[in-house]
Amino acid sequence: MPRRPTAFVSFFVLIGILTLLPLFRPPAYFLSFLFKVLLFVILAESWNLIGGFTGYLSFGHVAFFGIGTYTAAMLFQQFGISPFVGAIPGGLVACVAAWVIGYPCLRLRGPYFAVVTLCFAFIMDLTVKNLAFLGGSEGIHLKLMQMEIQTSRSIFYEIFLFLALVTVLLARHVERSKFGMGLASIREDEDVAQTLCIHTAGLKLRAFTLSAFFPGVAGGIYAYYISYIHPDIVFDINMSILIVLMALFGGGGSWMGPLVGAAFLSVLNEFLSMFIKPEIARIIYGTMFMAVIIFMPDGVVAYAKKGRRSPSEAIGYGQGISGDVSV
Amino acid sequence: MLNAVVILQSIVSGLLMGGMFALLGVGFSLTWGVMKVINIAHAAFGILAAYIAYWALTLYKVDPVLSLVLSTPLLFATGLVIYRLLIQPITRAKDVVVASMILTFGLAIVIENFMLLVWSPDERLITTSYSSQAIFIGDIIIKVSSLIGFILSLLGIAAIYFFLHHTHTGKAVRATWQEPEGAALQGINLQRVSMITFALAIASAGAGGVTMAYMYSFNPPAHNLWLIFLFLVVILGGVGSVLGSAAAGLIIGLIIGLCGAFFPQQWINVLLFALLMVILLIKPQGLFRT
Repeated sequence: MPRRPTAFVSFFVLIGILTLLPLFRPPAYFLSFLFKVLLFVILAESWNLIGGFTGYLSFGHVAFFGIGTYTAAMLFQQFGISPFVGAIPGGLVACVAAWVIGYPCLRLRGPYFAVVTLCFAFIMDLTVKNLAFLGGSEGIHLKLMQMEIQTSRSIFYEIFLFLALVTVLLARHVERSKFGMGLASIREDEDVAQTLCIHTAGLKLRAFTLSAFFPGVAGGIYAYYISYIHPDIVFDINMSILIVLMALFGGGGSWMGPLVGAAFLSVLNEFLSMFIKPEIARIIYGTMFMAVIIFMPDGVVAYAKKGRRSPSEAIGYGQGISGDVSV
Repeated sequence: MLNAVVILQSIVSGLLMGGMFALLGVGFSLTWGVMKVINIAHAAFGILAAYIAYWALTLYKVDPVLSLVLSTPLLFATGLVIYRLLIQPITRAKDVVVASMILTFGLAIVIENFMLLVWSPDERLITTSYSSQAIFIGDIIIKVSSLIGFILSLLGIAAIYFFLHHTHTGKAVRATWQEPEGAALQGINLQRVSMITFALAIASAGAGGVTMAYMYSFNPPAHNLWLIFLFLVVILGGVGSVLGSAAAGLIIGLIIGLCGAFFPQQWINVLLFALLMVILLIKPQGLFRT
């Protein structure tokens, strides 16, 4: 738990406010908006387990989200299992997929791993589009929840709030555990880590499999939320890229980075889209992201904590965070 | 029915397509090899050039080949500016490859949305007066537009090869690729060489984009898909190798052509991407490592 009591108190106050929010009956739009923010928090924070902590950039994170969505949707359609329950097997199937992909592919480093995961996301998208029993390129329609929209939105919101909380706390726990130290050693220098008898292959595989669980579960619940599932929506490669950008915007390698990045960028996106065309909003967004990578290579959170470092120091993602790893 | 003509036809059209992959991929391979910069926005520049050609054709009736005369120097200049503004600041990073990849993902988003804003997300197709014409050699049909695209690709690759092997600057680029520190000791200005390489790569992406537009319809988000093809070319051909990229492009075209004869159309990309994964796992250093 946080060392400073003020941080501890403000954390619980924030969670309390967010939990009790639906009681004040905010507009359904507002709940949907928060739902989306929380979705990105879950995705970016779970991506952080592999992408941030070990430095293995996975561009296929959306594939696990899609796998979860389709698993829960199929369980609902074929066997009538509620997606709230079906989300768990959704997460487990995503884990299995991550293990199968990760086992051979985690041997590849740097750009090669990024390409393989990008390929994986594309393959999943195209395969689902081509398989008739998964709805093909027509998608699947699910039965709507038989409830008033305000209530159903509140339920979805509460579930995602809980899931986001679990993901963030888990990432925080991992960062401070022996497991997290091992992952950090892979990020800093994998070869040295190996010579120090750290079983890097096993650690990477564990991190990758764990990171797939949460998008899988979130996907299952998302299936019920949107009730119409199409490969273009749930296997959207842009979403995969967005997850990476959000996490690195805040700063990969620490639990707080993706949380700040996902929350800030999705709020900004929504806010900008209200006033200007979404394309211009995304141009601003992309420009901002490039500025962050050039001037604050460790993300905004590390920048805010440490202040500006001289540009001659190693610029690059994941550098210089080692001092932050606390035991 | 599968017979010799069908197979020959698929080989020919596959090879024509492969030339385009080669030209599109060669610049990507160069920046990766020489500067250790993976330019994710490479394909986006290709599509940008395709749009410029499309505009020139529909608004001013300028043939795409002629509009290349305009768009190539334009993209070269853009490349110089982008190198100064974006790439140079990150060349000091410890892991330039990964840092550049992340940075250019941002750049790709900016370019894609700029194109969406100007040209809308509709699919575009370049239709020239000779689009519907074809040459018959025996039973084999060769579309004139594909042939022009192929010839353009060959010329482009030949030009890049000539530049790298027979000009002073080109030799400096190759020296930098082989041994950056040694090259610097010989008085080669690494920043200048990198800047030229980057601008050249962007210009070649533009030419590649126009040849692509001769054969395919295009829209702004398509660059994500093209990116996979770029990786396929580079990983097959070996990072930084011009002739390797040319060979890889042709091989990929051949595979696509032949797969088209044997498999349903919608599974071809799945097969190709699976092929890329397998190649990466078995031989990540490429098949034609120089």
